[in-house]
Amino acid sequence: MFNSELMKKLSDCFGPSGRENTIREMIAEEVKAYADEISIDPLGNLIARKKGTGKKVLFSAHMDQIGIIITHVDEKGFLRFANVGGLNAKELLGLRMVFDNGLEGVICHEELKDKEKITMGKLFIDVASTDKEFISKNFRVGDMCVFKTEYYETEDCVICKAADDRIGCYILIEALKNHPETDNDVYYVFSVQEEVGCRGAKTAGYSINPDLAIAVDVTATGDTPDGIKMDVKLGGGAAIKLMDKSIITHTDVKDLLTNLAEENNIKYQYEILEFGGTDAGPIHTSREGVPSGVISIPTRNIHTSGEIFSKFDVEECIKLINAAAK
Amino acid sequence: MLKEFLFDICTNQFVSGFEHSNGDILTKYFRTYTDSLEKDNLGSYIFKANGSNDTKIMLAAHIDEIGLMVTKILEGGFLSFTSVGGINPASLVAQDVTVFGSENIFGVIGIKPPHVTSEEERKNPLKLSDLYIDTGYTKEKLEKIVKIGDIATIKREPLSLQGSVISAKALDDRACVAVMLEAAKELKKISHKSNVYFTATIQEETGMRGAKTSSYKISPDIGIVLDVGFGMTPDMPPDTAHLGKGPVVAYGGRLNAKLTKKFVEVCKKYNYPIQYEAVPAGTGTDTDALQITKDGIPCILLSIPLRYMHTSVETIDLRDVENTGKAIARFINELDNSDLEEILCF
Amino acid sequence: MFLKELTELSGVSGCEYEVRNYIKNKLSEIGCEYYVDKLGNVIAHNKGRKNKTIMVAAHMDEVGLIVSHIDSDGFIKFQAVGGIDQRVLNSKAVLVGENKIPGVIGSKAVHLMSDEERGKSVPIDKLYIDIGSESKTETEKLVGIGDYVTFKSDYVEFGDNLIKAKALDDRAGCSIILELLSMKLDADFYGVFTVMEEVGLRGAETAAYQLEPDLGIILEGTICADMPEIKDYNKITSIGKGAALSLMDGSTVYDIDVVRSVAKIADNNNIMYQFRSSSSGGNDAGVIHKTKKGAKVVAISVPCRYIHSSVNVASKRDLESVSELAKKVILENQKGE
Repeated sequence: MFNSELMKKLSDCFGPSGRENTIREMIAEEVKAYADEISIDPLGNLIARKKGTGKKVLFSAHMDQIGIIITHVDEKGFLRFANVGGLNAKELLGLRMVFDNGLEGVICHEELKDKEKITMGKLFIDVASTDKEFISKNFRVGDMCVFKTEYYETEDCVICKAADDRIGCYILIEALKNHPETDNDVYYVFSVQEEVGCRGAKTAGYSINPDLAIAVDVTATGDTPDGIKMDVKLGGGAAIKLMDKSIITHTDVKDLLTNLAEENNIKYQYEILEFGGTDAGPIHTSREGVPSGVISIPTRNIHTSGEIFSKFDVEECIKLINAAAK
Repeated sequence: MLKEFLFDICTNQFVSGFEHSNGDILTKYFRTYTDSLEKDNLGSYIFKANGSNDTKIMLAAHIDEIGLMVTKILEGGFLSFTSVGGINPASLVAQDVTVFGSENIFGVIGIKPPHVTSEEERKNPLKLSDLYIDTGYTKEKLEKIVKIGDIATIKREPLSLQGSVISAKALDDRACVAVMLEAAKELKKISHKSNVYFTATIQEETGMRGAKTSSYKISPDIGIVLDVGFGMTPDMPPDTAHLGKGPVVAYGGRLNAKLTKKFVEVCKKYNYPIQYEAVPAGTGTDTDALQITKDGIPCILLSIPLRYMHTSVETIDLRDVENTGKAIARFINELDNSDLEEILCF
Repeated sequence: MFLKELTELSGVSGCEYEVRNYIKNKLSEIGCEYYVDKLGNVIAHNKGRKNKTIMVAAHMDEVGLIVSHIDSDGFIKFQAVGGIDQRVLNSKAVLVGENKIPGVIGSKAVHLMSDEERGKSVPIDKLYIDIGSESKTETEKLVGIGDYVTFKSDYVEFGDNLIKAKALDDRAGCSIILELLSMKLDADFYGVFTVMEEVGLRGAETAAYQLEPDLGIILEGTICADMPEIKDYNKITSIGKGAALSLMDGSTVYDIDVVRSVAKIADNNNIMYQFRSSSSGGNDAGVIHKTKKGAKVVAISVPCRYIHSSVNVASKRDLESVSELAKKVILENQKGE
């Protein structure tokens, strides 16, 4: 049964890379009843541990979402900005943004002679106020904002912002609630700053030094009109990643996940992504190396204000995580 | 011996991320000159030759090669693929390939014929998505043998050209694995005090991953990194090194200046030919990972001149391989009898 | 007090010997304990009251050139070390190698230029250094492949308390650390003079690995584009507006609570400061904050016009602001309970 309320809460929660306080508190609230131990490391990663005497297993999903950082505030209420994480200028035109304090703005552009060549430098946020005091009181250089989007779902799919990677967080939370009987020492890590270079994962991987690590993140699909050529599709089940730019999954880990899926009747598909990376990247080359893999949620329209995924795929991912924890 | 080793190892695959399948070929040759084999958690091969003191010297040459990975099985028995590591699509056209499925099968990468390709299209740069591996099977039959994620490489018989020049695929960086073998052979003749770790690192082509984890495991006092560098041909810039004139010694921030100087002195003393290059920042080799592992590893970088890098006809001069191997053995011998701490301190 | 001498030393990334030796001498004079690590970083320790491990870092290296080839006529071809815009190389005086052989990077006479060529910059691979030798053999006696090349640029004080010199990025940071160490503050911190920041933040990574700091204070020279015709929102920092606090750059998203607490310290002590309004660039904080289990970091920079050229310009007042602020941040963090 898909927990829409939890997903909506996760998606709506403010947390761009480097400003994960609010989402971290929210997730800590959700998991504290289920974990044996909760800790926060110097970079802000949230680590929920189910203690055990066996092998150390690490699951990682990142809490941070892409966003925008304000670099200049002028007294007329026009804000200049730069991107936090992968964002394209042309995808931002006209979008509504929301700040941590709840105030909003719209991304507007200077007059463009050539509509095609839009760059970040030609954009600004209009916070809709002519009151100088209001503006200087509420908007400062260094503030961040994120997309403002309504959560929406159909019978089988969801449209929301920050599915990358709040859906991964959702999966780990639900998996933790269903944590299986096992001797293994399992760490559910909700990492920070993945979107700006998988930074949280690097320190978490070093500190925990697991025997096996699995990252949970979104991946693209090849099932849209004239889209990228990829064999992954919504409804095809949990995606077992074979390769992306940050990791080539070792055959043993691939076989482990494949066998677990087959033994437990979990629907799965293989995934090769020709760009991008996940937390597994820095974790698998940490210290002397860590056998690692990635379980991905097929998602359309990644890094836009409306990412789309299938509830069925999510359920399959949770099952696979539970199987792997043993 | 070197030619036999190279001809053997270059006809077998060690694609980045899949280097575990053919490890026994390496062991076959290295076991004669080393005492033990260990691996790091990602699969790098560490052959150790025991010494009598506490000094640890790590030699690193990457065993992995660039390759292809199957992404989709199409009607008519065609396979779509992506690259593992950096490949120029143009170098894949009109080639024999081997696909490593549940059995190894033969395939061909062709190209759309000229009379159905417009003038415009022919001028545009080729992309990997424009190419397919043609297996000659039906889709149904093929699906029983090949899965998404299986790898493929170009099928190329090594060639002996004039004199001591040879051409094969994956001489990047097997030429340097051969250098390590030569150095191991020479060192076995001399008794050495330092412990030498001949490391065939994995996944260099996809980000020097094996170098990071294997050097973390060994924690050596110094590193000698071996990779291939560009070799002179008519279209190369004037500062390119020449085949047959010895390894190229690198100068720059990633390398330890005094250690490099010592190596050059040894080569001059024993008349080993060498060439030089300046590398201001990134070297594009395992050095970049080794230098900053843990609290740092002082390194030198030696490159074997190689023509036509990242194609299936990479070309080297075996004399460079032999000379470099012998020079390294001499160098280690000299270090054994020097004050290493004095050389490394600032 | 140390800045003039520091900027006139040669220390291109990978060859920081002169700077390192100067710093070692000064540390001995000050009576401060230090050691040099495997990559060449100088790590000094100021002992005092300690609540946490603090690492104050500045890089010794500067951008420059490296000799890559000597051509058949004795002209010297080179590559850039660190990010150098080819436009700043036209018509310059340089010093080559350990013996500082003087040379020039020239430019084709304007009379011989076509209309199209005029005003255009020449790509680095078409430039060369002329040391006035008559032949390849003569040059080879004096210069070797791998020799480092610095700009010849004197330290000058001018205008309203401004300074022009090469390498203010980051000898400014180094001189401030030496000042802090000479104060013998009753607060524990490591003054780390790192190598090779300009070519990949190399030294800082191994230094952080050894020290495992709780807090990293990075003192840098940063971009300042407050020139005519540049819009306010593109200036990034301005001369005379104080110590620049970073919010985000290409290698670090700074913890906003840490940044705002530093701003508060500045406010409480009447120290002028500004925010660095750009998300580009990077510095040693990038590796310090994610080494081993991670660390909190803050970057406090001196605004420098024409950074990465031979004519960096900064304000003495901004230098004082950075120094004062760094001192207060260290003291505040090591304060007794």
